[in-house]
Amino acid sequence: MPDAVRLQLEDFSLDGEIAALRAASRRIGGIAAFLGCARDFSGGRAVTEIHFDAYETMALAELQTLRAQAISRFGLIDARLVHRLGAVHPGDDIVLIATAAEHRAPALDACHWLIDELKARAPIWKKEISPQGNAWVTPHP
Amino acid sequence: MIQVLFFGPVAERIGARQIEMDFRQGLRWQDIYGELRAHHQEAFALVSIVAVNGKRVDEQDDTPLADGAEVVFMSAFSGG
Repeated sequence: MPDAVRLQLEDFSLDGEIAALRAASRRIGGIAAFLGCARDFSGGRAVTEIHFDAYETMALAELQTLRAQAISRFGLIDARLVHRLGAVHPGDDIVLIATAAEHRAPALDACHWLIDELKARAPIWKKEISPQGNAWVTPHP
Repeated sequence: MIQVLFFGPVAERIGARQIEMDFRQGLRWQDIYGELRAHHQEAFALVSIVAVNGKRVDEQDDTPLADGAEVVFMSAFSGG
Protein backbone atom coordinates (compact mmCIF):
# COMPACT_ATOMS: atom_id res chain seq x y z
CA MET A 1 0.00 0.00 0.00
CA PRO A 2 1.45 3.45 -0.89
CA ASP A 3 2.40 5.80 1.93
CA ALA A 4 -0.45 7.82 3.44
CA VAL A 5 1.41 11.07 2.66
CA ARG A 6 2.98 11.51 -0.75
CA LEU A 7 4.30 14.01 -3.27
CA GLN A 8 4.36 12.49 -6.73
CA LEU A 9 4.62 13.27 -10.42
CA GLU A 10 2.09 10.68 -11.48
CA ASP A 11 -1.69 10.74 -11.08
CA PHE A 12 -3.33 9.06 -8.10
CA SER A 13 -6.49 7.03 -7.70
CA LEU A 14 -9.27 8.47 -5.55
CA ASP A 15 -10.79 5.00 -5.29
CA GLY A 16 -7.44 3.54 -4.30
CA GLU A 17 -6.90 6.09 -1.53
CA ILE A 18 -10.43 5.58 -0.18
CA ALA A 19 -9.94 1.81 -0.25
CA ALA A 20 -6.71 2.24 1.72
CA LEU A 21 -8.59 4.26 4.33
CA ARG A 22 -11.41 1.72 4.55
CA ALA A 23 -8.88 -1.04 5.09
CA ALA A 24 -7.49 0.76 8.12
CA SER A 25 -10.38 0.02 10.47
CA ARG A 26 -13.93 -1.28 10.79
CA ARG A 27 -14.69 1.57 13.23
CA ILE A 28 -14.89 4.08 10.36
CA GLY A 29 -18.35 5.62 10.10
CA GLY A 30 -17.55 8.39 7.64
CA ILE A 31 -14.94 9.34 5.07
CA ALA A 32 -14.60 12.88 3.72
CA ALA A 33 -12.50 13.85 0.73
CA PHE A 34 -11.34 17.02 -0.97
CA LEU A 35 -10.10 16.59 -4.53
CA GLY A 36 -8.39 19.60 -6.06
CA CYS A 37 -8.50 19.65 -9.87
CA ALA A 38 -6.76 21.70 -12.57
CA ARG A 39 -8.98 24.26 -14.32
CA ASP A 40 -8.65 25.50 -17.89
CA PHE A 41 -9.02 29.13 -16.86
CA SER A 42 -7.76 31.47 -14.16
CA GLY A 43 -8.41 35.15 -13.69
CA GLY A 44 -10.09 35.36 -17.09
CA ARG A 45 -7.17 33.71 -18.90
CA ALA A 46 -7.01 30.32 -20.58
CA VAL A 47 -4.73 27.84 -18.81
CA THR A 48 -3.21 24.96 -20.75
CA GLU A 49 -0.94 23.53 -18.05
CA ILE A 50 -0.03 24.04 -14.42
CA HIS A 51 3.48 23.34 -13.23
CA PHE A 52 4.10 22.54 -9.56
CA ASP A 53 7.45 23.07 -7.88
CA ALA A 54 8.21 22.16 -4.26
CA TYR A 55 10.86 22.13 -1.58
CA GLU A 56 10.19 18.43 -1.37
CA THR A 57 11.87 17.44 1.88
CA MET A 58 10.20 20.24 3.85
CA ALA A 59 6.86 19.83 2.07
CA LEU A 60 6.72 16.11 2.79
CA ALA A 61 7.67 16.67 6.43
CA GLU A 62 5.02 19.39 6.72
CA LEU A 63 2.32 17.16 5.22
CA GLN A 64 3.27 14.37 7.63
CA THR A 65 3.03 16.82 10.53
CA LEU A 66 -0.36 18.04 9.28
CA ARG A 67 -1.66 14.48 9.12
CA ALA A 68 -0.54 13.75 12.67
CA GLN A 69 -2.02 17.01 13.93
CA ALA A 70 -5.35 16.36 12.21
CA ILE A 71 -5.58 12.83 13.61
CA SER A 72 -4.95 14.18 17.10
CA ARG A 73 -7.03 17.36 16.85
CA PHE A 74 -10.14 15.80 15.28
CA GLY A 75 -9.84 12.28 16.66
CA LEU A 76 -9.52 10.77 13.20
CA ILE A 77 -9.00 7.10 12.62
CA ASP A 78 -6.80 7.80 9.61
CA ALA A 79 -6.02 10.40 6.96
CA ARG A 80 -4.26 10.45 3.59
CA LEU A 81 -2.70 13.42 1.76
CA VAL A 82 -1.41 13.25 -1.81
CA HIS A 83 -0.14 16.19 -3.90
CA ARG A 84 1.03 16.12 -7.51
CA LEU A 85 4.23 17.82 -8.64
CA GLY A 86 5.47 18.64 -12.13
CA ALA A 87 3.08 19.28 -15.00
CA VAL A 88 -0.69 18.78 -14.76
CA HIS A 89 -3.28 19.63 -17.37
CA PRO A 90 -6.87 20.87 -17.23
CA GLY A 91 -9.06 18.13 -15.80
CA ASP A 92 -6.19 16.41 -14.01
CA ASP A 93 -6.19 15.82 -10.28
CA ILE A 94 -3.84 17.99 -8.21
CA VAL A 95 -4.35 17.20 -4.56
CA LEU A 96 -6.32 14.76 -2.45
CA ILE A 97 -7.18 15.04 1.21
CA ALA A 98 -9.14 12.08 2.61
CA THR A 99 -10.11 11.72 6.25
CA ALA A 100 -11.77 8.88 8.12
CA ALA A 101 -13.53 9.10 11.48
CA GLU A 102 -16.21 7.36 13.50
CA HIS A 103 -18.67 10.13 12.58
CA ARG A 104 -19.14 12.59 9.71
CA ALA A 105 -18.50 15.85 11.57
CA PRO A 106 -14.84 15.26 12.48
CA ALA A 107 -14.13 13.78 9.05
CA LEU A 108 -15.58 16.84 7.29
CA ASP A 109 -14.04 19.36 9.69
CA ALA A 110 -10.61 17.75 9.44
CA CYS A 111 -10.76 17.64 5.65
CA HIS A 112 -11.53 21.37 5.49
CA TRP A 113 -8.84 22.18 8.05
CA LEU A 114 -6.22 20.07 6.26
CA ILE A 115 -6.59 21.66 2.83
CA ASP A 116 -6.51 25.16 4.33
CA GLU A 117 -3.40 24.33 6.36
CA LEU A 118 -1.73 22.60 3.42
CA LYS A 119 -2.11 25.72 1.29
CA ALA A 120 -0.64 27.88 4.05
CA ARG A 121 2.14 25.61 5.28
CA ALA A 122 3.40 23.33 2.51
CA PRO A 123 6.25 24.84 0.43
CA ILE A 124 4.70 24.19 -2.97
CA TRP A 125 4.33 26.71 -5.80
CA LYS A 126 2.27 26.62 -8.98
CA LYS A 127 2.84 28.30 -12.30
CA GLU A 128 0.00 28.64 -14.78
CA ILE A 129 0.95 28.19 -18.42
CA SER A 130 -1.27 30.27 -20.69
CA PRO A 131 -1.29 31.48 -24.29
CA GLN A 132 -1.57 34.95 -22.74
CA GLY A 133 1.66 34.41 -20.78
CA ASN A 134 2.91 32.27 -17.93
CA ALA A 135 2.51 33.38 -14.33
CA TRP A 136 3.30 32.09 -10.86
CA VAL A 137 0.14 32.04 -8.79
CA THR A 138 -0.25 34.47 -5.95
CA PRO A 139 -1.75 32.80 -2.89
CA HIS A 140 -5.43 33.44 -2.24
CA PRO A 141 -7.95 32.12 0.30
CA MET B 1 29.96 25.40 2.72
CA ILE B 2 26.41 26.65 3.06
CA GLN B 3 23.84 25.33 0.57
CA VAL B 4 21.34 28.00 -0.45
CA LEU B 5 18.25 26.74 -2.26
CA PHE B 6 15.57 28.50 -4.31
CA PHE B 7 12.27 27.24 -5.67
CA GLY B 8 9.38 28.42 -7.82
CA PRO B 9 9.28 32.12 -8.67
CA VAL B 10 12.37 32.96 -6.62
CA ALA B 11 14.44 30.35 -8.48
CA GLU B 12 13.15 31.62 -11.80
CA ARG B 13 14.14 35.21 -11.06
CA ILE B 14 17.58 34.20 -9.77
CA GLY B 15 18.15 31.79 -12.64
CA ALA B 16 19.38 29.01 -10.34
CA ARG B 17 17.97 26.53 -7.85
CA GLN B 18 21.08 26.21 -5.72
CA ILE B 19 24.22 28.11 -4.91
CA GLU B 20 27.00 27.47 -2.43
CA MET B 21 28.42 30.08 -0.10
CA ASP B 22 31.57 29.91 1.97
CA PHE B 23 31.07 29.08 5.64
CA ARG B 24 32.51 31.33 8.30
CA GLN B 25 32.12 31.26 12.06
CA GLY B 26 29.16 33.28 13.31
CA LEU B 27 27.43 33.39 9.94
CA ARG B 28 23.64 33.86 10.31
CA TRP B 29 20.89 33.43 7.72
CA GLN B 30 20.36 37.20 7.85
CA ASP B 31 23.94 37.71 6.63
CA ILE B 32 23.30 35.48 3.60
CA TYR B 33 20.00 37.24 2.95
CA GLY B 34 21.71 40.62 2.94
CA GLU B 35 24.51 39.51 0.64
CA LEU B 36 22.24 37.83 -1.90
CA ARG B 37 19.54 40.49 -1.80
CA ALA B 38 22.08 43.08 -2.92
CA HIS B 39 22.70 41.10 -6.12
CA HIS B 40 19.19 39.70 -6.72
CA GLN B 41 16.80 42.46 -5.73
CA GLU B 42 13.94 41.35 -7.99
CA ALA B 43 14.05 37.80 -6.67
CA PHE B 44 14.35 38.80 -3.05
CA ALA B 45 11.42 41.19 -3.38
CA LEU B 46 9.35 37.97 -3.43
CA VAL B 47 10.96 36.38 -0.38
CA SER B 48 8.70 36.21 2.66
CA ILE B 49 9.60 32.83 4.18
CA VAL B 50 13.00 31.50 5.22
CA ALA B 51 13.94 27.99 6.31
CA VAL B 52 17.15 26.68 7.82
CA ASN B 53 17.71 22.93 7.63
CA GLY B 54 14.05 22.40 6.73
CA LYS B 55 12.59 24.47 9.57
CA ARG B 56 11.01 27.89 9.21
CA VAL B 57 12.87 30.69 10.98
CA ASP B 58 11.98 34.29 11.72
CA GLU B 59 13.85 37.54 12.01
CA GLN B 60 14.49 36.99 15.73
CA ASP B 61 16.25 33.67 15.11
CA ASP B 62 19.89 34.67 14.84
CA THR B 63 21.47 31.33 15.73
CA PRO B 64 24.80 30.99 13.90
CA LEU B 65 24.70 28.50 11.03
CA ALA B 66 26.70 25.29 11.16
CA ASP B 67 29.01 24.33 8.33
CA GLY B 68 26.92 22.39 5.80
CA ALA B 69 23.66 24.12 6.71
CA GLU B 70 20.87 24.40 4.16
CA VAL B 71 19.19 27.80 3.85
CA VAL B 72 16.12 28.36 1.68
CA PHE B 73 14.60 31.71 0.70
CA MET B 74 10.98 31.28 -0.41
CA SER B 75 8.01 33.23 -1.68
CA ALA B 76 4.50 32.70 -0.30
CA PHE B 77 3.24 29.19 -0.99
CA SER B 78 0.56 28.45 -3.60
CA GLY B 79 0.07 24.69 -3.60
CA GLY B 80 -3.21 22.86 -3.42
